[in-house]
Amino acid sequence: MIAPLQRSRPTAPPGPSAPPRGHGRLGLGGDRAVLVHRRSAAAAVGLAVLLAVVVGVALGAGSTWLDPGRALAGLLGLGPPRDQLLVVTLRWPRVEAGLVAGAALGAAGLLMQTLARNRLATPDTVGINNGATAFAVASVVAVSTSMAPSALALTGAATAAALAFGLAGGSGPRGYRFLVVGLGIGAVFGAVTNLMLSRADVDAASAALPWTLGSLSLATPLAVAVLEAALAICLPVAVVLARPLAALRFPDPVAVGLGSPVRRTRIGVLALAVVTAGFAVAVAGPVGMVALVAPEAARRMAGPGTTPVVGAALTGALFVLLADLLGRTAFLPLEIPAGLVTAVVGGPYLLWLLLTTRTRRSP
Amino acid sequence: MTSVLRTDDLSLGYGRHTVVPALDLAFPPGEITAIIGPNGCGKSTLLAGLARTLDPRGGAVLLDGRALAELPTKQVAQRLGLLPQSAAAPDGLTVHDLVRFGRTPHQGLLRQWSSADAVAVREAITAADLDDLADRPLETLSGGQAQRAWIAMMIAQDTGVLLLDEPTSALDLGHQLEVHDLLRGLAARGRTIVMVLHDLSAACRHADHLVAMLDGRVVTSGRPADVVTAELVADLYGVDCTVLSDPASGTPVVCPRARLRPDGP
Repeated sequence: MIAPLQRSRPTAPPGPSAPPRGHGRLGLGGDRAVLVHRRSAAAAVGLAVLLAVVVGVALGAGSTWLDPGRALAGLLGLGPPRDQLLVVTLRWPRVEAGLVAGAALGAAGLLMQTLARNRLATPDTVGINNGATAFAVASVVAVSTSMAPSALALTGAATAAALAFGLAGGSGPRGYRFLVVGLGIGAVFGAVTNLMLSRADVDAASAALPWTLGSLSLATPLAVAVLEAALAICLPVAVVLARPLAALRFPDPVAVGLGSPVRRTRIGVLALAVVTAGFAVAVAGPVGMVALVAPEAARRMAGPGTTPVVGAALTGALFVLLADLLGRTAFLPLEIPAGLVTAVVGGPYLLWLLLTTRTRRSP
Repeated sequence: MTSVLRTDDLSLGYGRHTVVPALDLAFPPGEITAIIGPNGCGKSTLLAGLARTLDPRGGAVLLDGRALAELPTKQVAQRLGLLPQSAAAPDGLTVHDLVRFGRTPHQGLLRQWSSADAVAVREAITAADLDDLADRPLETLSGGQAQRAWIAMMIAQDTGVLLLDEPTSALDLGHQLEVHDLLRGLAARGRTIVMVLHDLSAACRHADHLVAMLDGRVVTSGRPADVVTAELVADLYGVDCTVLSDPASGTPVVCPRARLRPDGP
């Protein structure tokens, strides 16, 4: 007698702790586990790969062209010494500056937008960039000082943020008041910058101009090193804070009801955004639209309802690198500052994103 | 499971304006309490104070004998849930996502998803009869379905006390009953429920205990059949009415006739 053929099928019901749809569960022993949003993770990996390619292209591009693979090999200490000299010594500092400044602006934009529950709330719009610019321009044209513009840019960013925070009486119940006060402070600093530029002589004004546009040619090794240190601390903290921040996307009473430390999270996230944006402006000036566009694109990729800190940082880095690459290769012998390219490209891209998004309310 | 919620000499207000002065109130555990009163009587303020979204300016809210202000907010959230009026969710969230947020107070950085979480979310979705809608984005749901999803979030939070501010205000009669039935089931399982209700007749029908407020003070409290009289309605709302008894449930039914103060208070 032949036993009926039985197909062994894995019919076991999902385990008691099967993760929610679209997530993977990383067990850490016992009840401890971390949830990973699959689409966010996939987007981050994809962006990282793309970014590596763009870094290769950016290192290869210039008066002597190398193919991206050879440029990356040079960066890693492989290949002929001449390549290494060209890539590591001459080109990497600028690419590095673009990477960290873009990543910082992208992450700061995402934090600020999520905090204020408003897509328009970015370091550009709440006056942080304008404050940094005003101080940097002052050091170039108006005040004879031994401090480098990049050091003053951070002071300016912190001043603008402190003024906005102080005058708004904290971030306010919805971050809205902070946004409006920041807008006003940004306008004041913008006016001060223009006043200084109009009063300065032509040489000083043209030396200060990049500080109003944003350009990777402004980067100094010290400012880049400082931003790198800041990112090494701020990005992991931002990833941790993204969890309580997710609850803040609800109205305050709901977040309080869920036991979220509303006030603490808000102040912590705001501080992170100010520090990363301020140090980024100290590196490359106020590179426009990055903080607005990068989080938008990252959210698009990671899916609705996500707070993709890493994705926004990677997108920001990608955006700034591509803008700089375009600006210094496409219009030779002219060199267009990255900040101009991001503004020209970012505007239409943002419009396209907004017009093709299914839901149009704030994040 | 049941937690005991009461206030001790609690006063609440905004700015210089005191809305609720010195209130001593206990909410019967395992029962449904409805706070009623005219607009501006302080009932939503009281609920905000109970939910710690408004800090007391004097006295305290006591949960199992300890002041809310002294407990870590996460610990409070494990025992006391809140559904504010017309709560809004971020875009793109599905029912399942929302209900999952109810587990937040039981989770941590390295404890993001336990088997208890999975069970609680599944049971909450079933209890609120949302199994077929679990993967639908909230913005595609009707008002009644969305309100059930929010209550499912509270169920997943698994607290002994549930506070709700006008949970049925935007719903039609059928969906109101759905929500009240759901809350009745929770009370039957030992949950203490405190809600603000606008609709006096619904409060009489669905609450075990009424707290009637006027000008920040409690006028009276007790079982609906004991406290709802024509005099009370006249005091609270300035309306002349007849109070009947619902032939099915025996609870009071208020039939308004005319305003007593045509010029308004």
